[in-house]
Amino acid sequence: MSDQVRIIRFNAVHRLFHLFIMVTFLVQALTGLCRLLYTTAWGKAVTNFLGGYDSVSTIHNRVGVAMLLGFGVHVVYILLKVEWKALRRSLFHPDSLVPRVQDVIHLGQRLRWFVGLGPPPAFDRWTYWEKFDYWAVFWGLPLLGLTGLLLMYPLAVSRLLTGWVLNVMLLLHRAEALLAMLYIFIVHFTIGHFRHGMFPMNECMFSGSVELEEVRREKPLWIVRLEEEGKLREAVVPGPQPWFRVAYFAFGYLALAVGLYLLLILLIYRHYLEWH
Amino acid sequence: MRSQRLLWGSILRMALGGLGLLLILPALAPAQEEVTTALRRYKEREASTGYYEEYEVKPRRMRPFVGIPGAMRPTFPYSPKAAEIRVRAHLADSHRGVKFYEVRRCDECHVQEAEDVHTTRGNLTCRQCHGGEPIAAVNHYFSPLNPIRRHAYVCAKCHEGAGASFATYVVHEPPPGAPETRKTFPSLFYTNWFMYLLILGTMGFFVVHTAIWVGKELYHVFTERRRKPENE
Repeated sequence: MSDQVRIIRFNAVHRLFHLFIMVTFLVQALTGLCRLLYTTAWGKAVTNFLGGYDSVSTIHNRVGVAMLLGFGVHVVYILLKVEWKALRRSLFHPDSLVPRVQDVIHLGQRLRWFVGLGPPPAFDRWTYWEKFDYWAVFWGLPLLGLTGLLLMYPLAVSRLLTGWVLNVMLLLHRAEALLAMLYIFIVHFTIGHFRHGMFPMNECMFSGSVELEEVRREKPLWIVRLEEEGKLREAVVPGPQPWFRVAYFAFGYLALAVGLYLLLILLIYRHYLEWH
Repeated sequence: MRSQRLLWGSILRMALGGLGLLLILPALAPAQEEVTTALRRYKEREASTGYYEEYEVKPRRMRPFVGIPGAMRPTFPYSPKAAEIRVRAHLADSHRGVKFYEVRRCDECHVQEAEDVHTTRGNLTCRQCHGGEPIAAVNHYFSPLNPIRRHAYVCAKCHEGAGASFATYVVHEPPPGAPETRKTFPSLFYTNWFMYLLILGTMGFFVVHTAIWVGKELYHVFTERRRKPENE
């Protein structure tokens, strides 16, 4: 493993953002499900373990505010990263996560590959599903945060808006949260971690680097581009320290386990998932 | 001389009388001005208590309001049973004539209503909002849950400072996907269907997409593995 050549994919800031959203998302999923499934035996047991309904609500609310602040920091980071003088190039560069026409073509190629009409698409640094993952969180988090914030202060909100808006906000909050949980625990986990060659956990979001061989298999155009620009040598980084690997694998397995456990709970208590 | 004494006497009596009046009458105060007008006093009381005078609250010609806003009312609007239910929402005793009412529980009939957030999370009982027997219908003009005073009489018991807008939160929500909800709560209805289609679309596409992808990849891996020993 360590003799493999590895190239950098996520810098420390990217990894910190992912770590932050990972931890807060799992906390919100757990405490949110406690509130949603409070009428069930599981909901009562876990809620009581966490200190009761009020305590779970407090955790959910404060972590939610933290997520919104984190989102604000992320937006500031993006605004600092964008090259304003060459805006168009900066936005639609292959290193940017902004969707391009190429992504639609890739998706078409993927669908054609499904029915045996062509080869699988060759990707650059970011694939269409990775961009979808990113933008799903980018609009989902503010939506959940905003509706959650309105629900946190019903009296103040009812002075500005009509009270029944909160009914709609609660529905939006719950439905969007269910969608987020289902998407992350099923689609994101499967594509990111459970595919052949990655099972059971893909470490690149923690180590920040990917094996060159894996990139050649998954994202050949990125390597081609790096070679053309002569940046491949710069991109090579040493592998992670053994203690760091042990730490992030333990943490990653724990996070995956929590996610799959919550998915199981969602499936078991599917009849109790009222989103209104 | 005598007239002068009379004058002084009357001045003294008037002064004494004035002094007496000053002692008897309430003290003059700047605030007195504000409560002198009955209208202002009434408005203040109305705002703080939510109490309205009977003539303001009673429906015109004593007829209960039985229409759905925006819906045309046909000549014979409701079946006798439907009319009975709609009229029931305006009775002083909303359960009048329900058989064996004394021995029944609320949630035997009001199943959905007993499962909302206020009941299951807030541990409220029905009577904490709907009041004791006879339980007045929510639209009866003396009911504590009548929308004109609901915020002050019911909501504010827990949500201190609740206003009329706050009280428009629908505690017993209709099922958001039901066709009736399109008339009674359109924004909830359309939001529900939007989110439903969004979840169905996103998950439907990506689950199928990912399943085929993973399956095809695994198939290639296994066929490659089977081919390799033959080549070697």
